[in-house]
Amino acid sequence: MADKEHVHGRNSLVWMEKISKKFGTITALQDVDFGVEGGEVRALLGDNGAGKSTLIKVLMGVYPPNTGQIYFQGQPVKISSPREAREIGIEAVYQDLALVNLMSISRNFFLGREMVKHFGPVHWLDVHRMNEICRKSLHDIGIAIRSPAERVGSLSGGERQSIAIGRGVHFGAKVLILDEPTSALSVAETRKVLTYIANAKERGLGVIFITHNVHHVYLVADSYTVIRHGRNVGTYFKGELTEDDIADLITGDREV
Amino acid sequence: MILEEPWRKKLARSFSMSTALGPLVVLIIIFLLFSATVPNFLTFRSVTGIINAITLTGTLTVGVTMLMISGEFDLSVGSIMAVGGYIYGALTMAQQPALGLILALVVPALLGMVNGLILVWTGIPSFIVTLGTKYLFRGLLWVVTAGTMLQTIDRPMIYNLFNGRLDVVNKFLTGANFRSSLLWLLLLVAIFQFILVRTRFGNHVFAVGGNRGAALGQGVNVKFVKVMGFVITGALAGFTGILLFSQFYTVRVASGDGLELSAIAAAVVGGTLITGGAGSIWGALVGALIISMLRTGVVLMDIPYIPADNFEAIIGATIIAAAILNNYLRGQSS
Repeated sequence: MADKEHVHGRNSLVWMEKISKKFGTITALQDVDFGVEGGEVRALLGDNGAGKSTLIKVLMGVYPPNTGQIYFQGQPVKISSPREAREIGIEAVYQDLALVNLMSISRNFFLGREMVKHFGPVHWLDVHRMNEICRKSLHDIGIAIRSPAERVGSLSGGERQSIAIGRGVHFGAKVLILDEPTSALSVAETRKVLTYIANAKERGLGVIFITHNVHHVYLVADSYTVIRHGRNVGTYFKGELTEDDIADLITGDREV
Repeated sequence: MILEEPWRKKLARSFSMSTALGPLVVLIIIFLLFSATVPNFLTFRSVTGIINAITLTGTLTVGVTMLMISGEFDLSVGSIMAVGGYIYGALTMAQQPALGLILALVVPALLGMVNGLILVWTGIPSFIVTLGTKYLFRGLLWVVTAGTMLQTIDRPMIYNLFNGRLDVVNKFLTGANFRSSLLWLLLLVAIFQFILVRTRFGNHVFAVGGNRGAALGQGVNVKFVKVMGFVITGALAGFTGILLFSQFYTVRVASGDGLELSAIAAAVVGGTLITGGAGSIWGALVGALIISMLRTGVVLMDIPYIPADNFEAIIGATIIAAAILNNYLRGQSS
């Protein structure tokens, strides 16, 4: 792992520089620098209301920043919708918003990117092919499913997370944003999801792991960015601080 | 790998995977019960009567069901149907059948678009938007037609196209009265069931109704799906107006009032989830048949204290029973 001086800057996979965002008179973010390298798991830590989700929504193109610039693979980019973010390879996995529970695994997997067959102007879904590719692709990442036709609603929380992660990896995401991916999971399920995250990292993806609880992310993350009251408190690499140190930074009980 | 599950759970799962399977079983049970116990029920006359009674509601519910799956309601379809009926009636009476057909589909489609655009521009729930346009469209129709009813004694060929007797079939079956409107209904059900489960648009309809946020996150054009759903539903309501005039040779400003609720009832009895995300067109067709069959059966049974024209109570009980059954099956499967 590279040291602090040589990573995290405009040449990172994603780099957000001096991002500020105001809602009316309320400052949600003030000059925040944040980014992730390829093959790195970056924890984004902060208490509720610290600005984590606002920062990610700026990255996903949901909110335009008031000031600041986003760089992707070294190039300045303007992202104005989640669709645009996805097109350049930034995929977000939100806890409740990732999958449609009443639809099958395969239909969720290909939602918005369905495969079709044509006959003249008539087109229809190539259900068989989508099922096959979905099953194979998830299998390759180490995710076993009973059937691609099974409804997502009958899966456990961990299985749902894994399918959303597998989908991102399959469709060539370069950055994977996970919002509290393990907070509602059992210990065994958490362990599984963490292996999928490690798997994505090994494939060279940059993973942003958002959480308010350092315990969820301490072991899996390579570096930690703590934000508090909309400001970047600091970025630390694995081994620099203990779990308790980071917890204190999140709450502001102690400065480093 | 197939995991072992108890047969009851397995059965319940296949029932919930196909929302129309439960209603179909109910339909068959009711049919057998009535056939065994009600005099004159199992005749071609009453069976074709049951079927002919659903052509208007059935055509309306094709669009209404699709909208409900996408999480929206359309209460204005009865009014739009009357608009379609006037346009088609007036133009066929003026010897302009082709123009009548086109305008009776296009104008209702545009009215549907008005519903959809108000919805996506204002964010007001579609229940409220279409409650408003239900009265608005009918009010405009009253202004344009000066409230006069349209009626004709002419019988141009085009009326046969939409509601002619299918004598090729009927002459072999005593008392049968199959109409071409049934073929149109079946064709529309087949087309829209295909669109719903086998096309990209249909996939997006389910996604938008099942989890709007997830659909948005995956790049589904939610607003397009919503507006398009209302446009299709409007056009289908216009087509229902064509069927109406071809059947009765008359249309009034008040024609079709209340049919919007029958269409929703058919969808619900047919297994469509009122909160969106699940349902099927052919299930709604089965739902419409269940209601129509109960009506005929109850009328023929001639039960004391339940007069023949009080079948509303039966329909009401059916809707609630269907909703309970659907909830139960869904609960068993998850």
